[in-house]
Amino acid sequence: MATVQVSEAEKVYILHGIRDDLRVDGRSCEDYRHMEIETDVVSNTDGSAKVTLGHTVVLVGIKAEIGKPRPMVPDEGYLEFFVDCSANATPEFEGRGGEELGTELSNTLYKVFNNKRSLDMKSLCISPGEHCWLLYVDVLLLQCDGNLYDAISIAVKAALFNTKIPRVHISADDEGGKEIELSDDPYDCVRINVENVPCIVTLCKVGHRHVVDATLQEKACSVASLIISVTHKGTVTCVRKVGGGSLDPESIFEMTEAGKRVGKALHAPLMKLLQQEESLGKKRQKVGFLG
Amino acid sequence: MPTDNKRVRRPEVSQSPSVFACRPAAVLPAAGPRADGRRRDQVDVRPVFVRCGLVSQAKGSAYIEAGNSKLMCCVYGPRETDRKDETDMKCGRLITDMRFAPFSCPERGSWIQGSEEKDLSLMLQESLRPAVCLHRYPRSQVEVNVMVLENSGSVLSHAITCASLALADAGIEMYDLVLGCSIRQDGASYMVDPTYLEENGCSSGSEDNQGRLTVAFLPSLNQISGLQSDGEMAEETLTAGVRTCIEGCYKLYPVIQQALAKATRKAAPPPSES
Amino acid sequence: MSPMKLCVPGDKLCSTEDCIPGTGVYLRHGYIYSSLAGYVLRKNEGEELPVISVVRETETQLLPDVGAIVTCKVTSINPRFAKVHILYVGSTPLKDRFRGTIRKEDVRATEKDKVETYKSFRPGDIVLAKVISLGDVQSNYLLTTAENELGVVVAHSEAGAQMVPISWCEMQCPRTHAKEFRKVARVQPEYLQA
Repeated sequence: MATVQVSEAEKVYILHGIRDDLRVDGRSCEDYRHMEIETDVVSNTDGSAKVTLGHTVVLVGIKAEIGKPRPMVPDEGYLEFFVDCSANATPEFEGRGGEELGTELSNTLYKVFNNKRSLDMKSLCISPGEHCWLLYVDVLLLQCDGNLYDAISIAVKAALFNTKIPRVHISADDEGGKEIELSDDPYDCVRINVENVPCIVTLCKVGHRHVVDATLQEKACSVASLIISVTHKGTVTCVRKVGGGSLDPESIFEMTEAGKRVGKALHAPLMKLLQQEESLGKKRQKVGFLG
Repeated sequence: MPTDNKRVRRPEVSQSPSVFACRPAAVLPAAGPRADGRRRDQVDVRPVFVRCGLVSQAKGSAYIEAGNSKLMCCVYGPRETDRKDETDMKCGRLITDMRFAPFSCPERGSWIQGSEEKDLSLMLQESLRPAVCLHRYPRSQVEVNVMVLENSGSVLSHAITCASLALADAGIEMYDLVLGCSIRQDGASYMVDPTYLEENGCSSGSEDNQGRLTVAFLPSLNQISGLQSDGEMAEETLTAGVRTCIEGCYKLYPVIQQALAKATRKAAPPPSES
Repeated sequence: MSPMKLCVPGDKLCSTEDCIPGTGVYLRHGYIYSSLAGYVLRKNEGEELPVISVVRETETQLLPDVGAIVTCKVTSINPRFAKVHILYVGSTPLKDRFRGTIRKEDVRATEKDKVETYKSFRPGDIVLAKVISLGDVQSNYLLTTAENELGVVVAHSEAGAQMVPISWCEMQCPRTHAKEFRKVARVQPEYLQA
């Protein structure tokens, strides 16, 4: 991953700041950086979103395609995640360099959505055992400045909110087979209920405390972090320790508690923002990529 | 290892016959004892059988058997790093590779490492790294290979235990042993060290609090080196689950210590000069 | 004699007030812990506190360290340096092969500018050398033979016979009596194995 070198003096400065709940950029330990969300940024997708968090920029595009349901769950559609760490974000990702991080991120996304409540997979089924919707969720990292997990999960939620799946009708043809008919009206589409989609909160253990939304410098001072995905109700769908260090049980309990608190508080403003943007419709002022 | 599918004659798509079974997939009973007689809500880990030093070629190796889950692990190195660009002058590298034998699960797997195996390898690496004194092995790498011979649940936790034994058997310096334990949360009750069915079966009970949790624990330092959960759990349930897993690790600790001591004694009699 | 105590990584052995940490142990919060699975060994070496270490009969993996005397085999030569494989560290054989480099400047201590690698080593020679640096990311271990005791110990002539050293810079073939140039080591008795 993109890393920075931090000198001992810098480390001490950051550590002491965090101890006193005042970070280098003036935030307190549980504050996020400035975040910008824009949906519907790529017209060729069924749903897309761009999230800017500090200098981290993530673009998510969702494409809905019709496929065959998995044999074990014939009445459900499914999601496919792919995270691309392009050389745009940092030259280290060139060639196969970003592959490892990409699989790590996409595997985490699978884990986050591996439960019955996050998304109603049954609503993605067209006809059991034969056809279902599969949503290809493609994540592109445009800029890396720490805290990729949180930015990606928020972007995925925003893109899912924005996704419009065209309505299909199933009609029986003469021989008793089934035929899929796509609705003629491009505005006749199905939306996904994203109420229960969780957001990831990454807590970085720095010194004896933990911080939310760590910058690359702060990350360099920490040995381990905990990622927690939390729904708006406060249930935890995935926890994972990342990084080379270990944590003592007590701090893990503290961190999950803080993660739940921060994550829960994240959902309401996010949904409000998304709905606000949606209601503006065509009148919305587009920011684009250079905004 | 046949990775070239064109030369292996087989149909392009094949399915396990279990898909065509008329009965729905196994459902966990909501209460009562578990299929193998263990009790719910008890820190009832399966008895484990562990052995060290079964692969003579490797620097260190270990085999673990818990119920029907069977895993083996080999450790090689420290040796020169393969990838010159990633050589670290101060600190060695720990490379982990975890694979399922194609016949290890109810459904046949592929020889090629899938993304699930890559994910498990990463979890294994992150769980072991805090325990290994990598600074003693500058500019070299230690390789840990885990092969799952039979998957009967909780493979990650047993892989962690097995790998730490193999590392100790190889004489790699470590701060502590690493023990793994997992639980399956099913509504209000939980099952420690779940079997494959318990891990993947759907629950007949409530939809709340369905989840899986794996913890890697350093018993002597009292540190958690690895933590992973999925499914859906309330924060309190999760916290309780972590505590249960730690308890499970402590149950495993004497067994692992004894196995390692036995292997050390067998490998060499006590040095005479003292 | 009571059987020697066995320990596994993470076992607390004693306080730092009782012992001095040796090998196979580490310090944490004023206590000495074992970092290996092996036997606990206490040795009194004339000092007030005994040295505590954990030993395994099967020699623990040694890595070439700065200052260590290594035995290596020359694999290739070019005008600037000789490439070698490190085979032994001290008297411990290595299980895996490590590569090292002897640069032209590090062949001998005097007249460094006049060194010719071809007149110092040939591929296949067994050389005693000392590790001077672990090298950097691109290079291998850097070795030196710039001491009287270091240099070629075993070499074969073009005829294939094992040569006999005749001076610090020449060796002679017992069969053809041809002389060849080498940076010869004056082998010290402690490195000679019975």
